[in-house]
Amino acid sequence: MTRSLNEPRVLDLARRAALSAAVPAIGGALALTTLVMLAVGVNPADAYPALIRGAVADGNLEYTIAAFVPTLGMALAFALPLRAGEFNLGGDGQMAAGGIAAAALALAVPLPPVLAVVLPLLVAALAGGLVAALAAPLSTRLRVPAIVGTLLISAPAVSLASYLVRFPLAEQGSGIAQTPVLPDAAHLPALGGSGYVTLGLPLVVALTGIWLYADGRTVLGYEMRARGHNPEFARYGGVHVDRLAGYALAGGGAFAGLVGGLIVLGPPYRFVDGALTAPGYTFTAVAAVLLAASRPLAVPVAVALLTVLQVGGQGMEREAGVPSQLTQIVQGLIIVIVAVLATVRRRAAE
Amino acid sequence: MSVPAAELVGVSKRFGPVLANDGIDLAVARGEVHAVVGENGAGKSTLMSILYGLHRPDSGHVLRAGERIRLRSPADGIRHGLGMVHQRFRLFPGLTVAENIVIGAEPVARGRVDQETAHRAVADLSAKYGLRADPAAQVGGLPVGVRQRVEILRALYRQAEVLILDEPTAVLTPAEAGRLFEVLRTVAATGVAILLVTHKLTEVLAASDRVTVLRQGRVTGRFATADTSADELVHAMIGRSLAAPEPRRRSKPDGDPALAVRDLTVHDADGVPRLSGVSFAVRPGEIVGIAGVAGSGQRELLDTVTGLRSPGRTGQVLLDGAPVVQGRDPRVAYVPEDRHGRATAPEMSLAENLLMGEQHRLATRFGLPRKTVRARAEQLTERFAISAASVDVPITALSGGNAQKAVLARELTRQSRVIVVEEPTQGVDVGVRERVHALLVAARDQGGAILLQSSELSELRELSDRVLVLFEGRLVAEFDADATEERLGQAMTGVLP
Repeated sequence: MTRSLNEPRVLDLARRAALSAAVPAIGGALALTTLVMLAVGVNPADAYPALIRGAVADGNLEYTIAAFVPTLGMALAFALPLRAGEFNLGGDGQMAAGGIAAAALALAVPLPPVLAVVLPLLVAALAGGLVAALAAPLSTRLRVPAIVGTLLISAPAVSLASYLVRFPLAEQGSGIAQTPVLPDAAHLPALGGSGYVTLGLPLVVALTGIWLYADGRTVLGYEMRARGHNPEFARYGGVHVDRLAGYALAGGGAFAGLVGGLIVLGPPYRFVDGALTAPGYTFTAVAAVLLAASRPLAVPVAVALLTVLQVGGQGMEREAGVPSQLTQIVQGLIIVIVAVLATVRRRAAE
Repeated sequence: MSVPAAELVGVSKRFGPVLANDGIDLAVARGEVHAVVGENGAGKSTLMSILYGLHRPDSGHVLRAGERIRLRSPADGIRHGLGMVHQRFRLFPGLTVAENIVIGAEPVARGRVDQETAHRAVADLSAKYGLRADPAAQVGGLPVGVRQRVEILRALYRQAEVLILDEPTAVLTPAEAGRLFEVLRTVAATGVAILLVTHKLTEVLAASDRVTVLRQGRVTGRFATADTSADELVHAMIGRSLAAPEPRRRSKPDGDPALAVRDLTVHDADGVPRLSGVSFAVRPGEIVGIAGVAGSGQRELLDTVTGLRSPGRTGQVLLDGAPVVQGRDPRVAYVPEDRHGRATAPEMSLAENLLMGEQHRLATRFGLPRKTVRARAEQLTERFAISAASVDVPITALSGGNAQKAVLARELTRQSRVIVVEEPTQGVDVGVRERVHALLVAARDQGGAILLQSSELSELRELSDRVLVLFEGRLVAEFDADATEERLGQAMTGVLP
């Protein structure tokens, strides 16, 4: 009896899952990737298991988690302002600003344990937030959309960090553009004897939880979502929409800055020029958030999925001889399919 | 009967769970004005969209002069002589009347638009149908009624033999509407079939030959206009008769003005005055109506009174004697005209739409408890008889009437003394209209000071205790509730009484 009562609910859930953008997007992308593999003469039956092994087996899980943390942080950096209707594409610059600020503080000021970790991270978040907040008045006063403003500010921010690490903060006698190793007190504690997973994991996960709560169950979250859905409605309702844009961008930038700080305070415990932006966390995160399609709870899941794809791709390259670029193709296809589905649905709604 | 100019046969169309059209048959003959009436959401727009090629029916088909045709796009519709005049004009304000009319089918001479031929063609058309319009005038500077004529001329230029007009009088003054109906008569007399989509029964009775009534996607009545009555049409539209209007209870405004506007002048971004020296007061317990042709300064007036507009303003707006707060004054309840653009966030849930303005009051130390938010929404939903599957559905899933009830529910429970209401019954059906009016009168009787803007004169006269008329940004007249529509119309068009 209970069963038959529950059945429609289960069916309804299944229907909704199938209709949501994620399922056809991932399914479609995998199907197309399989076709590409077949076309270039790779056996998918070898490649996919190699991909999974590359991500989770043989001690690779550690790398996957180590990549998951910054990607999730960058996903929040994009998702938080997006909820309020602002696109933050300047994650790279905010992350670099946070990283270099954290490194500079840790190198310049000897701090007692605990504080030596906490303060640089706070400064990193602050620096990232400030860089992102620069785009807010551009957007609200000069009508330069945040998507443009953040991106334009990002490049000089990355260059500034690059300059600082090459000259004032450079390690003497090293051929590489990097800072000296940070003092021991500033090293992020590793988690469970791992070489790569640090305290950053629980920190970012906890912050994700706080964001989810704030988004769904606080006045600030409600007003941001109202602004994101319809700014005129929010303004009409008495919400200070311009101020909110500043908060949202600064909040996103703070997450990006924090990620920069976490990377610098983790192994190899220094700011290496280009090391923050090279792995492409920012845009993987953008892809994950778009895939999650305005469902905040789906953001961590999408991040996990794309991280597995990326890290696993390297394993696939080693084992099955499939270029890891293939996983970037999958990622790209997912985004394209999500975009196409969104457009098709909007047309259908009209 | 001869072969109809156009005929829809067994047309059904489904949008998701909504069956918008359910086996509809409709035939319009050459030379007749055929009214299509129904409540909002009855399926009128869908049906017309199918006829001019925007939507394809799930089943059923379209006949044109007895021949079955397939319409894949509005371009197909034009090719088959089906012309649509939209409620929102699709004109290029920077081009001339002639250019707007010939666009898409321009006479070409030596690779360029042949202006001379175009002007002559437009002048000929104007003369033939009695639709006066200067071919050389720039459309942007023309009054609304003339722009509408340009839309009609464009359809006729493309040899439309079936002309569909979607709520054509929504933007017109009573006098302009009267002229439009004369024009439609002339056009029909040349053998064009005219479909007039409307929800105003007075227009149906005044201007049509036959009427088809839709309700919930089906045809619920077909009448010859001469043999029917407003009561019979209402019954077909809503499935019951309207309650007899209660004898009007006079309000007894008392006390100091809750809203006082003194010598208000508002300039737009280009420095053009949109409001000049406007002064009036609204006391608790009265409804003051604002009448005026669209664009006479209503938008600026209401945006200033609610605090939403700040730049370019001189003069005073006082709420209970204190100046209005810029941004959005929380002491004002405000029901905006633009339901999707301003009054709601269409994709947010009904509960979240009902929450706006109350979010700080409902918050606790730990944020906004969902339970409280839902409980309040459910309470309002019940009290205001909003029909929705649940308070969690996006508000866009509600019918226009229910969405409007939700907006009213939110604003009328703010416990503001000053209530600004804009087009409260636009696009809602007769039943909801009745209910909305009752709510507004109840709010007035409880001491509300209501400022009501409406483009429907009958609504203004029904509800208002006084009516102020705006013309070109000035208050030009004040009437008591007994003023005739004719006198109001004269004041609205600058012909002072």
